[in-house]
Amino acid sequence: MLLGRLNRVETNPSGYFAVHLHLSDLQRQNKQAHFLDIAARSFSGLLDNHEATLFPLSNADMVLVCRNVPVDDVDPVVDKVRALFNEDPLTSIDEGGFEDGLSSWYDLSVSEDFAAFFHIATDLSMGADRRRDEEEKNRKAAQERDGNPLGPMNLAAINQKLQGAQVADLINQQTCLQVGAGGDGKVLFHENFISMAELKKRIAPEVNLFASPWLFQYLTETLDRRILVTLAEHDFDELGEVISINLNLSTILSRDFQTFHKAVGDNTSKVVVEINILDIFSDMNSYEYARDTLQERGYQVLVDGLSPTSLQYFEPAILQSDFVKISWGTEFESDDDDSRVNELREVVATTGKDSVILARVDTEKAVKWGLGIGVSRFQGFFIDKLVEVIRSGKKH
Amino acid sequence: MANVSDTAKRLPSQENLLLDYVHRLEKRRKGRRAVHIHLSALRPFNRRDQHIRAAASNFEPLIKDLKGQMFALKNADLFFVFKDEANPHVETILQKVRFLFSDDPLILEEDKIDQDFATWYDCEKDFDAILHLVQGMDQAEKKRQTTVRSRMDARAALKVKQEQGEPLTPEVLERVITALVRADLSNLVRRQYICAVDEKMVPEEEFSELFISIKDLRETMLPNVNLLANRWLFQHLTETLDKRMLSMLTKTDSISISGQISFNINVAILLSPEFQAFDDNIAAGRRGSMTIELQKEDIFSDLSSYMFAREFVQDKGFKICIDGLSAETLRMINTEKLGVDMIKLIWDPDLVDAGDEIQDNLRDIVRQRGDKHLILCRCDDRQAIDFGHSVGIGLFQGRFIESLIAEDGRRRELMRLKRRIERS
Repeated sequence: MLLGRLNRVETNPSGYFAVHLHLSDLQRQNKQAHFLDIAARSFSGLLDNHEATLFPLSNADMVLVCRNVPVDDVDPVVDKVRALFNEDPLTSIDEGGFEDGLSSWYDLSVSEDFAAFFHIATDLSMGADRRRDEEEKNRKAAQERDGNPLGPMNLAAINQKLQGAQVADLINQQTCLQVGAGGDGKVLFHENFISMAELKKRIAPEVNLFASPWLFQYLTETLDRRILVTLAEHDFDELGEVISINLNLSTILSRDFQTFHKAVGDNTSKVVVEINILDIFSDMNSYEYARDTLQERGYQVLVDGLSPTSLQYFEPAILQSDFVKISWGTEFESDDDDSRVNELREVVATTGKDSVILARVDTEKAVKWGLGIGVSRFQGFFIDKLVEVIRSGKKH
Repeated sequence: MANVSDTAKRLPSQENLLLDYVHRLEKRRKGRRAVHIHLSALRPFNRRDQHIRAAASNFEPLIKDLKGQMFALKNADLFFVFKDEANPHVETILQKVRFLFSDDPLILEEDKIDQDFATWYDCEKDFDAILHLVQGMDQAEKKRQTTVRSRMDARAALKVKQEQGEPLTPEVLERVITALVRADLSNLVRRQYICAVDEKMVPEEEFSELFISIKDLRETMLPNVNLLANRWLFQHLTETLDKRMLSMLTKTDSISISGQISFNINVAILLSPEFQAFDDNIAAGRRGSMTIELQKEDIFSDLSSYMFAREFVQDKGFKICIDGLSAETLRMINTEKLGVDMIKLIWDPDLVDAGDEIQDNLRDIVRQRGDKHLILCRCDDRQAIDFGHSVGIGLFQGRFIESLIAEDGRRRELMRLKRRIERS
């Protein structure tokens, strides 16, 4: 479509220009379809009142083709889109640079610009065909993998199934490692968790359990009880290293936890309880009570479900937990914004650098990034591999 | 350990014993001093049981000599009452205790932070202050124990069930949602005013919140179900209610929803086609008179969606209000960075005794962002308004405000009548 339009423009290009918005370069979590729809709607006023057309491309980029529209009328709209994606590094303007990463402008009445833009449009169009095929394939695969969204109706059935399901063999362990100054590692604890992918396979292969954060959270309340029952069969006197488990506040305050507590006996210092921030926010009073009770009995409390980004919007120190876990994401890989890194370093320092754990660490890069902001406790695939290496090294 | 805490539950709390002791002290306060050691302000990893025990054990010799009495409080604080003659000894012990925690910010940054490590009292001169403090502690502990009981007790759960109906289950939720899509909810929409209140308790309306009454919804649709029993299922239900509210707001651009209004909504709904349709259908000028209320847990469940949605709706002219904060969550969350236009703080009588740090935080927010930024909501009595005024809060909402409005209406009606009588 865009190419067809350009062909027509070529015969009389006077007054035409194009703005290419590189939204395909946004971070993945900002490239969601409903975000892009809303961004495209920002142009509606401009399109209604001027000779302008917007081409939303299949790779998420957008091209605006205008004829005789004052640049001053286009600027505010581009800025509006920029503001929408304010949190994304793509939209930060390099001071002193001529062009920003978000938009490129082409004066189509100038033949060099026209040629350059035509070239780009051709590339985009060829990419689009390829992508269409791929997307179709991906969409089908995703639907098969994720299945129907979790709704109240299938939730009831799944919940029922879960209550009777064996989960012991689905419990996985992941190690949280404290990295010393000399590069040596000390095991802080082993997180015991149920692999959701495997659980899904067993009890609900055709349902996307994550479609609603709230219904998923409901399901975890049942899951908690199953895990507690399974773990209560352990002999905690024999337990060599500390373990951690994820629990809802409602579970911690329930009879099931009392039973578990009896099984733990005098070994409460070997158990870390992880509580999700969503759960905490929805009932601060219960959290405070649960935290105090757990800490008094000798358990350690960990606040889970945070990201480096969320740390910039609230101060977890007030939660007075023993640990705070933040999840690393690939969006921080390209994070070379010094001010953000400095800010995070400060947040880590006020939270207590001995209490912050960087989780979902799957590359060495993530560890370096973590060390850079003052974190020395890590968890994730990369750490598991590291622990394996250390363990096999010790054996030799 | 389980046994220890079980017995502890049945015994009177240390707070209670301390209050009792202070009452008896009233007649013998002369020649006695007290020191309150704020171990609760230590970092959590420094105030484990063993740390507190170690700190308290330093006082053992004095206690054996009957020179003083120790109270180890629930929040980890120590309260030691002793005879004048032991003062030098107590000072030395306190130095020792400080040394135990010398790596904690409470000690390291003592000059920088407002919190002292210890507060000293003269029982004769400061008796009232001590009594007030100890009463407060006792109250807090009692309240804590009641909440504990109400949570843990199967009997309490049964009582709730009998009074409020069967807890909401996924099956029932499904039925409710299906029914909601077809039902006419317009008669369930309620309005509560957010008002400025002057010293004479005369309210002035600023805007009003529209909401679907959950109580009435329950009574009309499911008299035997407790919709609020599970917060996650309820939260899911609110997404359906949001959509119904939006469609009602779109259809009836009539008197009933005129004026400055606010309504609650989920972030996910702000980004949905339903909100787009709503936005397309309201007059551009209306947006500036509408405030969108968002829950904190919803915001933090997906921050990038929130940031995007906020930018989008604020640019359209809507205002954003973060709802349901307590003084504590308000201190924790950086509302300025979240870019909200208003904050709703839930009234709690405990705010009066919450301490300087929390009250100063409220004053700071009012000073920096104006007295129309903070709304004290769920105000049930006059105490709420008085507290709000004391920290500079300018806007209030709740049952007490509704009664003030009704009263104000009656007063105006009377004045009108009086004038009519005078004229005739």
